[in-house]
Amino acid sequence: MIKTVNLCKNFKDKKAVIDLNLEIKKGELFSLLGVNGAGKTTTIKMLSTLSNPSSGDIFIKGENLKENPNKIKRIMNLSPQETAIAPNLTVKENLLFMAGVYQIKDKTLKVNKLLNTFKLEEIQNKKAGILSGGQKRKLSIALALTNDPEILFLDEPTLGLDVLSRRELWKTIEELKGKTTIILTTHYLEEAESLSDRIGIMVNGKLSSVGTAKELIALSGEKDFENAFVKIATGGEL
Amino acid sequence: MKRTLNFASRNIKELIRDPLSSIFALVLPLFLLWIFQQFKIPNEAYIISNFTPGIIVFGFSFITMFTAVLVSKDRSSSLLLRLSASPMKSYEYVLGYFLSSMPIVVIQIVLFILLAMILGLNFSVNLLLALLVGVVVSLLFIAFGILLGSLVGDKSAPGVASVIVQLVAFTSGMWFSSDMVGGFFATLCNALPFKYCVDILKGIINGNYDNILLAFIVFFAYLIVVTLLSVIFFNKSLKSDKK
Repeated sequence: MIKTVNLCKNFKDKKAVIDLNLEIKKGELFSLLGVNGAGKTTTIKMLSTLSNPSSGDIFIKGENLKENPNKIKRIMNLSPQETAIAPNLTVKENLLFMAGVYQIKDKTLKVNKLLNTFKLEEIQNKKAGILSGGQKRKLSIALALTNDPEILFLDEPTLGLDVLSRRELWKTIEELKGKTTIILTTHYLEEAESLSDRIGIMVNGKLSSVGTAKELIALSGEKDFENAFVKIATGGEL
Repeated sequence: MKRTLNFASRNIKELIRDPLSSIFALVLPLFLLWIFQQFKIPNEAYIISNFTPGIIVFGFSFITMFTAVLVSKDRSSSLLLRLSASPMKSYEYVLGYFLSSMPIVVIQIVLFILLAMILGLNFSVNLLLALLVGVVVSLLFIAFGILLGSLVGDKSAPGVASVIVQLVAFTSGMWFSSDMVGGFFATLCNALPFKYCVDILKGIINGNYDNILLAFIVFFAYLIVVTLLSVIFFNKSLKSDKK
């Protein structure tokens, strides 16, 4: 579904992503882990057309992203780190607006379905700006699903949420697994371990290790995933 | 076009749901129009047919402020970032911002002219023409708003945009003729577009087209330059927001 070939991104003299070679299968939930500045968000931004690579190629469904970004934009969507909602619009109006952006034929039907899926019906007429952090995140992900994307990018989807809201969102994300190819970045290790089919750990812009949580634990020789991550991310220095 | 209208419709909701918008863009200019007609100031600038065009242009300066705030907030909230990953094209955003202010502009001009008529402005076909030309004049103020919103953050946008409000007030000739002050100030008034915006509407409302051609030439030159700059800097801001 997604393939990157020697993907690089440089910001002036800083190399944010270095020779990233990655393949993500259709319907897979792939998590990108790494400490701050490891290159996760930069990678997501390049994959989701928000940032142009300095070199290398991205292929989505066999199409080169550089050559036909608009065609690919129709089949993907994104929930950025910031909730990115229209604050003076109600929850329902936000969804209708996004359905208009993607020219969804039966907007009302689609929006009602999303309100139901994300349990947003009760707050559908509330202005988005006054929602709680968890409700905003839910709305943000619902907005990213208005066009039934084949590929969904979730950048830190549970950042700043309490445990209950986080668990609730995990449930929603799990329900999408298999149907939608999801690329997720997170700082929460238990989130990556619990949700992902495979995990990639980025260190200083490079993809250091890729595998299932169990494979990464075995590779590191540690007992649990947290220790495995620390060992891989620090090269065993901690 | 459907996507542009969808974006414009969202922008209108964002604009009109902020109560400050209607207070500053409508109530304040209406109040000024009414109060200054009560003073019976013996100065040509305050004759209703001369003062109304100034009030219309003064009202437009708040459109600059609201557009600047909307664009800068959309940038800082990452809504534009989300939309950048959608099939929306840059011209659709810019056109959407332009269209969204149009209903407010029309309401402004109609209300200002209606109050002016209550206060003694004679009805003529010129007033209908002023409505149409006023809409064209407002484009410059929307373009200024998009330009400022693309250049500054959401916290500084109101402050920076208020400079336009002040410049309109002091250099458009709505309160006093720049010739009364002379020197650098008169040069500044002649160099900025606001005086010409008022002159165009003044000429149309009074049916006096003697100096209107020069005013139109300067206005359109500014409109083209500011619109181009707003498109360039808006696109640039989208890219820099993508980093």
